[in-house]
Amino acid sequence: MLGLIVDGFLMGWPVFALLVGYFMYCQTSISDPEMKKRLQFKTMIAMLTGLMLFMAISNYSTNFHGESRLLPVSLVMITTLCFIMGLYFTNLAALFKIGGFMFFVAAALSGYGNWLPQVEGGFPPPVVKLDFQSMSAQQLADEGEKIIFGGLGQSKVQGAIGKGQCPLCHGFQQGFLSERAPNLFDVPARASTRLDEPNYHKGNPEARPSVQKEAFPGSGTAENAQEYIAESHACPNCYVVPGFGVKGSNDTESPMPRIHKPPISLSMGELAAVDTWIYIREGKEAPAYDEIVASYEKFIPEADRITVTAEEEEGGAAGGVLATGEEPVNEIFMKAACVACHTIPGIEGATGKVGPKLVEGTNAPKRIKDSSYKGHAKSVREYITESILDPSAYVVTDYPDNQMPKDFGKKLSAGAVNKIVNYLSQLQEGKEPPPVE
Amino acid sequence: MGRLKFRMARKKILATSGLFAMGSMLLLPIFLALPALAGGGGGSAAGGPPPDVVAAQKAKAEAEGASAEEEKVEVGRDVYYKIEGPVVGGPAPKTEDSETFYPRYNFESRVLLWVANQQHLYYGSFVLAVPIFCMCIEFAGMVSKDKAMAKKYDQLAHDFIKISLTAYSLTAILGGILIFTFLTLYPAFFGYLSSIFRPVMHIYALMFVAESGCLYIYYYGWDKMTHGVMKWIHLSMSVVLNVIGTVLMFLANSWIAFMMSPAGIDEQGRYLGNIWHVLHTALWNPLNVHRILGNMAFGGGVVAAYAAYRFLSSKTDEERAHYDWMGYIAMSLGVAFLIPLPFAGYWLMREVYAYRQQMGITLMGGLLAWLFIIQATMIGILFLTTNYYLWQALGRMTGGERFQRYIKYLVFILVVGLLVFITPHTIVMSPAELKAMGGQQHPVLGNYGVMSAKNGGINAIIMTTVLSFIWYQRGNRVPAVKWARLGNTFMICFFTVAQLNNVWLAVYGYFIPANVRIGLSVPQVAGTLSCLFFMTPLNLAMLKGARQLGPIKWGKISPRSQYALIMLATAFTWMMGLMGYIRSSVRLFWHVNEVMRDNSPWAYTHTIGFAANIISFNVLFFWISILFVFWLGTLGMKSPVTAAAKEPVAGAPVPQPAAGH
Repeated sequence: MLGLIVDGFLMGWPVFALLVGYFMYCQTSISDPEMKKRLQFKTMIAMLTGLMLFMAISNYSTNFHGESRLLPVSLVMITTLCFIMGLYFTNLAALFKIGGFMFFVAAALSGYGNWLPQVEGGFPPPVVKLDFQSMSAQQLADEGEKIIFGGLGQSKVQGAIGKGQCPLCHGFQQGFLSERAPNLFDVPARASTRLDEPNYHKGNPEARPSVQKEAFPGSGTAENAQEYIAESHACPNCYVVPGFGVKGSNDTESPMPRIHKPPISLSMGELAAVDTWIYIREGKEAPAYDEIVASYEKFIPEADRITVTAEEEEGGAAGGVLATGEEPVNEIFMKAACVACHTIPGIEGATGKVGPKLVEGTNAPKRIKDSSYKGHAKSVREYITESILDPSAYVVTDYPDNQMPKDFGKKLSAGAVNKIVNYLSQLQEGKEPPPVE
Repeated sequence: MGRLKFRMARKKILATSGLFAMGSMLLLPIFLALPALAGGGGGSAAGGPPPDVVAAQKAKAEAEGASAEEEKVEVGRDVYYKIEGPVVGGPAPKTEDSETFYPRYNFESRVLLWVANQQHLYYGSFVLAVPIFCMCIEFAGMVSKDKAMAKKYDQLAHDFIKISLTAYSLTAILGGILIFTFLTLYPAFFGYLSSIFRPVMHIYALMFVAESGCLYIYYYGWDKMTHGVMKWIHLSMSVVLNVIGTVLMFLANSWIAFMMSPAGIDEQGRYLGNIWHVLHTALWNPLNVHRILGNMAFGGGVVAAYAAYRFLSSKTDEERAHYDWMGYIAMSLGVAFLIPLPFAGYWLMREVYAYRQQMGITLMGGLLAWLFIIQATMIGILFLTTNYYLWQALGRMTGGERFQRYIKYLVFILVVGLLVFITPHTIVMSPAELKAMGGQQHPVLGNYGVMSAKNGGINAIIMTTVLSFIWYQRGNRVPAVKWARLGNTFMICFFTVAQLNNVWLAVYGYFIPANVRIGLSVPQVAGTLSCLFFMTPLNLAMLKGARQLGPIKWGKISPRSQYALIMLATAFTWMMGLMGYIRSSVRLFWHVNEVMRDNSPWAYTHTIGFAANIISFNVLFFWISILFVFWLGTLGMKSPVTAAAKEPVAGAPVPQPAAGH
């Protein structure tokens, strides 16, 4: 609280100086004692409310990116000061009261937003170079599970969604109600029976009632179960399971996107991994990698195939990173080798002494205020980000400059930096470290 | 006598035709868009390139003659219309996280752009909505038989446009700031969008010039064009002003619609030479309709807040009477456009699902689903506040007190309806939360929040609001028609049956499968709309020649009611910020959905708390600035009541702004 008052003073000192000047002016230049008393009282009120205003601003400015975003608290303080001002400055009473009421409503709504469970959308999935071709069937299946559900073992977690986004519409468990798209349980066995359904028109795509007859001119129809799976991924419109078409299209058009195209954009290797998981998870033998890839080549023209090489070219900022941001924060610290030089409370093995101890929740506010600090950070989070991306912006006393690598901006994804900042900003001297997530 | 009747009839015909003409002109852009909707909206169903593309290709081929065979025109396939067209633009830039593509200050660029955009949008919506109100109110004044009322309506319309004029220059300044923010922080993205929209960018700028010209003539010509044909010309100026404003807004909407559901380009983002396809994307028309209605509700809220501010700072009873009436009219207009807004929203969401199912699921059942819980709460707040204002307004009518004892029952229905309406059924959770709760549905609450029950909740709220409005209309009047008893009985039965039907269907929904349950919303909504569209006119018919218990004492309303108006205005503004955030966030990490990827360090979706804070900041920034504008406006303003008193109209009850509702 005392810190907040000091911060408020430091932030609003020009305003207070003006008010003090005005107070002195009233003291010396106004002869009517009644008027003098009234104006002096009002100036005091203005000073009090001004202090509350700057405390409110300083409270929020240090918490802007923090875990405890206290905007509602600041707004309630401003609400109070508005009503106080409204009581004493009768000419502008209506404006102050309306303003105060609006601050109150905004504070309530902000508080509500902060009270609800906080869900943050992650960064776009990074492109990671994987050699699918040399993987065993189980390894391929594991990668497939990650693509569909976002992680190993996630297939049993309700609501888990990975890069493929399949569970948004499809059910995967036996008996699970799947209203938007067919349940994919037992699909390897069911696929071959689909080929014989009258609307499929095996070998005769021109007879299909669907809006798209073939994946591309001359691709033909599937001849076996694996080809059916590949065709339904590459050309969902070619055959629509009855009851699952776009509303009003009489099952001639599918709502499903082509999964080798944006926004999902699975590569040939990823498609093979997904299909392998579909077989392996039911204890069935999956076709060989080359066989699955060949089935997709039948339905995806060469120009549209995403290969590993193409991914690397398009990888851009995400290519060659040490950590993608999907890992838990302790793993990021390990991968980036922070633990070798720094002591980080709560991170196993992080006992390095080359660099300073990273209790940034305590250190950062002091360093920002340090007269020798020449960086641009205004908050704890900004300071940590700056220290990672530009370590020379501020060098802690007794530690040498140019020891820490300056290319973490290129080696860590934005998501990884964000996770590091989140964790370090919560570390405070003498307090328990937060849980590792 | 006969001649007088003829004159009156002629005036009525003229007035009705005028209204029809105004409405037609206002809706012209939508009608123009319809044929193309039918032709191209189906996407893959439309076969072959459009005639203009064919003609362009043909003409080019002829001009190049024999060399055309050698230099083949590159052809791209439209990502939405699925037809081919000549490639006439470069691909969307592939950006990366660097200063070249994303130059930045020491702050999150996305938040800066968010604030700049939102402020421009608030002011833009306000200055586009207010002229529509002015047009309606000026027209009402012109066709009014009561000269005193006509004068009052005219003065009110003039007051409205005066507020809008001050905000107009701020809108232009904020537009400039927005462009600079785009150019400095997102140059690659803005450059790409500009290259796509180049054919219409100058039209957009010219529209601004036309809008300003019309607005100034309309405002400054007010006192010069007061009678006869000149007044009609003045009114037609407002029609032209609104048509230009609407087209302007449609053009601005096309940018965001393109970002969500691009068309007119190929997979690499290369422009295919048909600007109509770029404008007329899958979501353009639903967005247009939704925004028109939203702007009107928002504009009503802002004017109501202005009236509340003037009411609270009034020094005389006359001023209070005038601003009480102004607040009531503005609130009624705002709420009138709020009621169809959910239907326009439903259409928009349906089109989102039709365009990309994943996008719809991300909105309603995925990452952004919690924000819809906030939206539901906001809708509840808006209706509760509207009801509160109407109950307070009963206080200014002699006889209004006879309804006071029933209000507690309405409060009960409203609160229960709201609680049911905001209870979620399935929610997005982390695995840890899922484990803690033991499933995706809460063991107790999960049983309650199904769609039919939620629909039941909101329909109960709307029906109660209709009932409050009917009571308000009856505040100082008692029906005197012969069939009053029968009418009342019919009305009570109608409301009871509609409410029972609503509750019964809400409960019945628990016993049938989810896909069947969805269909229950139709009879539920039908009941509510029937109450609105049949009972309100029936009530008005019953009040013809009604026995007056006393006059409406304008200005004799509690100050609390004015805070209800301010609450409405703040809630409208907050909800607009929230829905805009949801609409924009659904693109996730795409600048242009599936075409141009966002590779900036801010390509993730913020938490709800952070978003709520920025929305609050935007709302307060807007309100602080506009309250300042209001205050500035009062400095040189003479009291409207004093001004009116200087020009007395025969038979005008000066202190009373309007006798009717």
